[in-house]
Amino acid sequence: MLHREDESWLYTATGDSRGYIQPECLQELWFHTGTNCNLRCPFCLEGSKPGDDRLAFITLDDARPFIDEALILGVEKFSFTGGEPFVNPHMVGILDYALDDRPCLVLTNATEPLQNRFAKVRPLIEKPNPLSFRVSLDYPDPEKHDSSRGKGNFRLSLRTLSALNNAGFGVSIARLRDINENTETVDGQYRPYFEEAGLPADTRIVSFPDFMTPGSLPDVPQITENCMKTYLTAEQRSEFMCNFSKMIVKRNGRTGVYACTLVDDDGDYDLGATLTESMKVRVMLRHHRCYSCFAYGATCSER
Amino acid sequence: MDDLYEVKKIRWHTPEIYELVTERNDIPFAPGDSMAIFAGDGSQSRPYSIASGIDDPVLRFIVRKMPDGVISTYLIDLKPGDTVRMSTPFGWFRPGLSSAGAPFAFVATGTGIAPFLSYLRSYGEKPPAHCLFGVRHHQDAIELDFLQEHCELKLAVSRENINECHHGRVTDLLPSLQFTNDTHFYLCGLDAMIDRVSEWLEGKGIDFTQIHREVFFYAP
Repeated sequence: MLHREDESWLYTATGDSRGYIQPECLQELWFHTGTNCNLRCPFCLEGSKPGDDRLAFITLDDARPFIDEALILGVEKFSFTGGEPFVNPHMVGILDYALDDRPCLVLTNATEPLQNRFAKVRPLIEKPNPLSFRVSLDYPDPEKHDSSRGKGNFRLSLRTLSALNNAGFGVSIARLRDINENTETVDGQYRPYFEEAGLPADTRIVSFPDFMTPGSLPDVPQITENCMKTYLTAEQRSEFMCNFSKMIVKRNGRTGVYACTLVDDDGDYDLGATLTESMKVRVMLRHHRCYSCFAYGATCSER
Repeated sequence: MDDLYEVKKIRWHTPEIYELVTERNDIPFAPGDSMAIFAGDGSQSRPYSIASGIDDPVLRFIVRKMPDGVISTYLIDLKPGDTVRMSTPFGWFRPGLSSAGAPFAFVATGTGIAPFLSYLRSYGEKPPAHCLFGVRHHQDAIELDFLQEHCELKLAVSRENINECHHGRVTDLLPSLQFTNDTHFYLCGLDAMIDRVSEWLEGKGIDFTQIHREVFFYAP
């Protein structure tokens, strides 16, 4: 089903049929907890900062109907991103509800908001489903990490990681990826810090390219239907997050379903008010971040 | 959602530090909460900690005027009756409230005293075991009489030698503190102080989950 039929949605600037994904299933449901964040990182793809309300705090009352609907649709996991999720005062309550039915993943900077709420987070280990945390450690270099995230925050995040791991929660790392990097070498540079924090040596590292700030319009190649069929296999196409996940976003007092975690700055990717409705909608790969998924296989998922 | 608040007054404490007082609009908050205050065109905002008590009829914010500060220079031209756009209160720092009955202490520098003023104005009957306050000049120690009346205050003044105050940094006062291992510490101010105090406390066996940090940063 198409929810828009204007030319720029369906065709590239050169008139070719635009590449798309027709969603197959809902394995993972993401929630955007709000763009308010305790940090002010210059590269933030969400443009998050203290007090920011481009995307509003989601509440348990907002989240509950989507969690319930997703369970009917066969969801396997709930994931949460921000902003900093633990700036949202409703976060622990939402996790408490969601963990009754499915595993949950939270993307966090693991600094003061999580540290200061740790006493309320720790009991969630007793829930029927596991809770895991993906912590941002941008570079395997405290000084470089702190230059955008604030002095001392690499060490604080590492200490929080250690506390989460000791409490029995799953942990992984999110880092920034340089297009020309040697991935194995960079990943290896995290090992001494993992050892210092008492983390398993094989702690998962998820790397991301520069997605640019919200509203950016970088000049990236447009993805045509032909590109999708010529350069990608059916299996590769099925790995696009918009094939198996959705994200819930609250903007201007309205909660809606977006195609994925990376396109919330473009209202054209608001696919409807319910998950059932949004699952029918064909996702056109028009956003510049769609090219990161196409070219680099970028994914926020840990499936 | 953001809302407009009527300015009641701008009260200067020193040539650099002033207090913005606005109407309350019945908005609920907890001590430690901040609100993002927007400049006139709404394009930029900065977060400021609320300094008023939870039952006060007004909102108070302690602001340091920065020479090139977008918000801090915008606010000083406001007059009583003008309106200012602010976000709903938000925050994760809960001085005195997240220690589950354990003893607690406050450590602040400069305008970082704001959330502790909010706590003491809200829960003055449950004061911290200690309150360490560091300032550059004695006049920067705003609401000093109130603080001395409501808690066990130790003041450090780094750039003046004042009777009955420590001459030096607030971190110099740490060895004089008597505390037990279950004490929670609430730190608010610039990152250098917070890093030094955190490191010292962890060296004394305080678990990092008992060290609650609210880092103030200067942004133009």
